[in-house]
Amino acid sequence: MAKPILEVNDLRVSFKMYAGEVQAVRGVSFTLNKGEVLAIVGESGCGKSVTAQTIMRLNPTPPSIIKEGSSILFDGKHEITKLTNSQMEHVRGEEMGMIFQDPMTSLNPTMTIGAQISEGIRKHQKVKKVEALLRASDLLALVGISNPHERLHQYPHELSGGMRQRVMIAIALACNPKLLIADEPTTALDVTIQAQIIDLLRDIQKKTETSIIIITHDLGVVAEIAQRVLVMYAGRVVEQGYLDEIFYNPQHPYTWGLLRSVPRLDSDTKSALVSIPGTPPDLFAPPKGCAFAARCPYAMKVCTEIDPGHFRVSDTHSSACWLLHEDAPNVERPIEAGGRTHG
Amino acid sequence: MLKYAVRRIIYMIITLWVIVTATFFLMKLLPGNPFANASAKLPPEALAIIIQQYGLDQPEWKQYLKYVVNITQGDFGVSYQYPTRTVAEVISKSFQASLELGLESLFLAIIVGLTLGTVAALKHNKLGDYSAMFVALVGISIPSFVVGPLLSLYVGVKAGWLPPGLWDGPEHRIMPAIALSFGTIAILARMMRASMLEVSSMDYIKTAKSKGLSTTAVVRNHMVRNAILPVVTILGPIAVNVITGTLVVERIFAVPGLGAQFVESIYSNDYTMITGLTLFYASILVVVMFVTDIVYGLVDPRIRVAGRR
Repeated sequence: MAKPILEVNDLRVSFKMYAGEVQAVRGVSFTLNKGEVLAIVGESGCGKSVTAQTIMRLNPTPPSIIKEGSSILFDGKHEITKLTNSQMEHVRGEEMGMIFQDPMTSLNPTMTIGAQISEGIRKHQKVKKVEALLRASDLLALVGISNPHERLHQYPHELSGGMRQRVMIAIALACNPKLLIADEPTTALDVTIQAQIIDLLRDIQKKTETSIIIITHDLGVVAEIAQRVLVMYAGRVVEQGYLDEIFYNPQHPYTWGLLRSVPRLDSDTKSALVSIPGTPPDLFAPPKGCAFAARCPYAMKVCTEIDPGHFRVSDTHSSACWLLHEDAPNVERPIEAGGRTHG
Repeated sequence: MLKYAVRRIIYMIITLWVIVTATFFLMKLLPGNPFANASAKLPPEALAIIIQQYGLDQPEWKQYLKYVVNITQGDFGVSYQYPTRTVAEVISKSFQASLELGLESLFLAIIVGLTLGTVAALKHNKLGDYSAMFVALVGISIPSFVVGPLLSLYVGVKAGWLPPGLWDGPEHRIMPAIALSFGTIAILARMMRASMLEVSSMDYIKTAKSKGLSTTAVVRNHMVRNAILPVVTILGPIAVNVITGTLVVERIFAVPGLGAQFVESIYSNDYTMITGLTLFYASILVVVMFVTDIVYGLVDPRIRVAGRR
């Protein structure tokens, strides 16, 4: 069994607002092994990005607070929640890199590409400016940018969206981090570029054996790149398992809904796209039982009363749904293996 | 770049021409004439000779044409008030003081204002923010004609630390510069704070943090440079305002500057002086605007006017 690079245990993050406390992440636990690609999926506002940014402690505090009892153990030795700010500076960039959603806004418009890439290198590896720039040009070549030497002197506005995202990847990889967090890296790009970026991430993962957490709401991206999947809803993990387990044997009605709402090439009817009705609950006051109960077509009485906890499906697969309880009625899954829907 | 500059210069000339024309004719609407004060003592024949000598008996369009032709040859005419001095002489003499005072107070305002604004933004909603913004509030609500006399009275006369007025050594520069920079400090601090706050929520700041940079490095390399952009745009007009001298401060500290000349020339219908000064003010303004645009391009590569190095 591979060694874990990241162990997140009962992570709770809240945002103190004027009107109260938003519980954005409510007890998330997962493990990421070395060299593994983990996808976190779920709709907007379910706590994916907050989870990811908390791992790098990028959420400003205040307003955000990491609750007592949360633990993020990185590389078996750094307890992220306990590190001081200056210790954190050595984890960020050096041990972890992050790629953000919108490459149009995530690069500094007044600095050259070269300066932005070499900045991190100079901070962490104490090399001369020239060396750092040479390394930056190698990185640009690695992420598939032609004429890297010339690009070093260009500004972000002279590059296309796809190129800028490549530059972001180069920045994140600058110091050979052990963990790369990609927060919806393809959402803001057009489809052909999306595929290129995903291919690039996959290549890099193979070459460098970096562990990757990729956050997305695009299940296509998940199928392309991930080995394991974490499905999040309303600040909690509702189902997790290996890619095949989630795609071919999904257990949670929310996962069913997500899979059903993917458009399919082989759908035999001209039916409209399926969507999950309703909206996620207000995290100012999360519901008592299962957060998905209000939108779940299979909800039972117990669902609105008591939180289900995680039911084991296999060693690697678990789901937080009362339908897995032995007393639960047998429900016919509205979805076949691989996500094909009935009728 | 060259093409851009040439086009801008042509616009500048047109602007100045419009201003000269407007001032020339508006001025003629002022009641009285340049010799009103002296005319009582002069016999009417002598007055007629003087008026003829200055060409004021000609129809206005002829006077205008002559004036414009003279200007293009660099001749701004002779002051009516002081017949022995040309307008150009007066301007160059009194502008020195105004320029020096203006630059000093601008320098002070930029340093203090930007620092206050940056501190306020970094300590957003904390004590540092409130104190910096209190200073800015005081600066903007107390006009220089209050600050000036107060400084002159307490620091100058009562405490005797600095001379209360006049324009000799470096010690005479300090108080007028402070009095003049008060309002500018306030404006710059407010703008810088707003701009810094806006920049601090940008994605690229998150990127910078994710590289593991220290807070100081993030602020210095990523925030300040981007935050300063909107401030640079208003720096142009502010600089002109300050450099061309506020009349009040110059009067209070008895600084022999442009502002004083301007008002005197209007009181006494000194036609050549008024147009000359207006033209001078206007040209400084357009030139500074031009320079601001160029500087803006240097700070922000996205609007670098044309071509690449």
